[in-house]
Amino acid sequence: MKGKKLTTIIIVLISVILVFAAVPLALQQEQTLRLATTTSAYDSGLLDYILPDFEKRYNCKVDVIAVGSGQAMELGKNGDVDILFVHSPDIEKQFVKDGYGEFRRLVCYNQFVIVGPAEDPVNVSHARDAKEAFLKIFQNGTSGKAIFVSRGDNSGTYAKEREIWSLLGMNTSSFNNTWYLSTGQGMGAVLDIAHEKRGYTLSDEATFYTRKGTGIIPDLEILFKGDPILYNQYSVIPINHTRWSHINYELAINFVNWITSPETQQLIGNFTDAYGHKLFVPNAASGAIMISCVVEIQISASERNNWW
Amino acid sequence: MTDAISYDVLQVTILSLYVSGSATILGSLIGVPLGALIGLKEFGGKGLLKTITYTMYGFPPVISGLFVYYLFSRGGPLGSFGILFTPTAMILAQTLLVVPLVTGVTISAVSEVDKSIKNTVLSLGASNRQATFTIIREAWVGVVTAVMIGFGRAIAEVGAAYMVGGNIEGKTRVLTTAIMLETRMGHFEYAVGLGVVLLIVACGIFLFMRWIQEREML
Repeated sequence: MKGKKLTTIIIVLISVILVFAAVPLALQQEQTLRLATTTSAYDSGLLDYILPDFEKRYNCKVDVIAVGSGQAMELGKNGDVDILFVHSPDIEKQFVKDGYGEFRRLVCYNQFVIVGPAEDPVNVSHARDAKEAFLKIFQNGTSGKAIFVSRGDNSGTYAKEREIWSLLGMNTSSFNNTWYLSTGQGMGAVLDIAHEKRGYTLSDEATFYTRKGTGIIPDLEILFKGDPILYNQYSVIPINHTRWSHINYELAINFVNWITSPETQQLIGNFTDAYGHKLFVPNAASGAIMISCVVEIQISASERNNWW
Repeated sequence: MTDAISYDVLQVTILSLYVSGSATILGSLIGVPLGALIGLKEFGGKGLLKTITYTMYGFPPVISGLFVYYLFSRGGPLGSFGILFTPTAMILAQTLLVVPLVTGVTISAVSEVDKSIKNTVLSLGASNRQATFTIIREAWVGVVTAVMIGFGRAIAEVGAAYMVGGNIEGKTRVLTTAIMLETRMGHFEYAVGLGVVLLIVACGIFLFMRWIQEREML
């Protein structure tokens, strides 16, 4: 008899679960675009600001999957998303060249900034360019007077950091861990560590302002910005739909056309974070808007042939 | 703090319960019989199997997530099911984490039941299956503890849920991935708040399970 009672409980539980599972399935009537992006892009709030317009125009839902840059590219390679919104130009070009992506379109850029303790012990704020700022940190670091906190992952930010070190002919793997801390953490955590260690780091502007606004890093300030090498270019890449037949290519192309359209570009330019900073500068090439998918495919094919 | 949480916390909480609850039920349906089998039967390699089970207590959630990812990625062997970035994938990944715990604790629970009980029941003419059933009933408190520990593991983990769920707002965002998101964005207060929500929910579930535990339901 008691056995029956348990059986009843289990049956009720399983039915509840099945009903529950059916709800999301029933709701999935509208089209879905799966977009992989990086945590820094997502956390800035830009997508939350602009995506409702796209979802309304095309009566669809955009599923945003915010992960590390490397992971986002991997999801694209494996056909698990329809489109990428990312910011590692060199890796992106290779990605398209290797045939994983259809093509790459510029969307907008924001800035990387060099941040450090407000008193700026090694005078980074007087550097002429990012290269000189890094050189100052290196020289003082090796003599024990400065600390640099690095992402040390495969993020776009870390790629940029290594690009600047390479301008000085330096490779981060040769740096001593007495002054160069490779953390393998996200931008927010790296800023916290830089604050605690009174060190310098390279950050995207958006994450810095958000962190600053929450009062976690009061003593950290932007010490250097504005060198064009610190521009952080965002692009969209639709995933190769001949490689993966299930890719929602039509919607992905609509997305590219929409995000590069003058209206959306203006929307991006108007976006401000919670503290009133304008973070993104739209720079999609004007006149690149395609009328139909067919034209787009032809152009992307010729781009693949000629461009690379 | 000027920007508020934009997503529906209630919906996130319900999804957490749904995913981890399902994983616990699935994991228990596998783990309890498996644990009873390993605990009660004498066979060669039993010690090794127990060691493997206990070792899997330390199975990292991200690895469980990666395993399910590779299985269900479009490029993977079961990619055509299209369940990546759905609650179903999260349930499967968490089930992998729950099974070893439920199995292991069940092994301990049934092993503690006096062997003489089995012999007595058998001598009274019970079949082997009936005898096993009797022992599980005797070990009831331990078996429910096994299920509770399994649920605790599932509701608290974030690596697997993030890896195969993707933390998609309105679809696969659960309490732990939301906590991670808020922490990453520097909204520590919200993260702590969501942690409190998680503990309150867990408290409710564990009260319910204790109620089950104290009644002999079999």
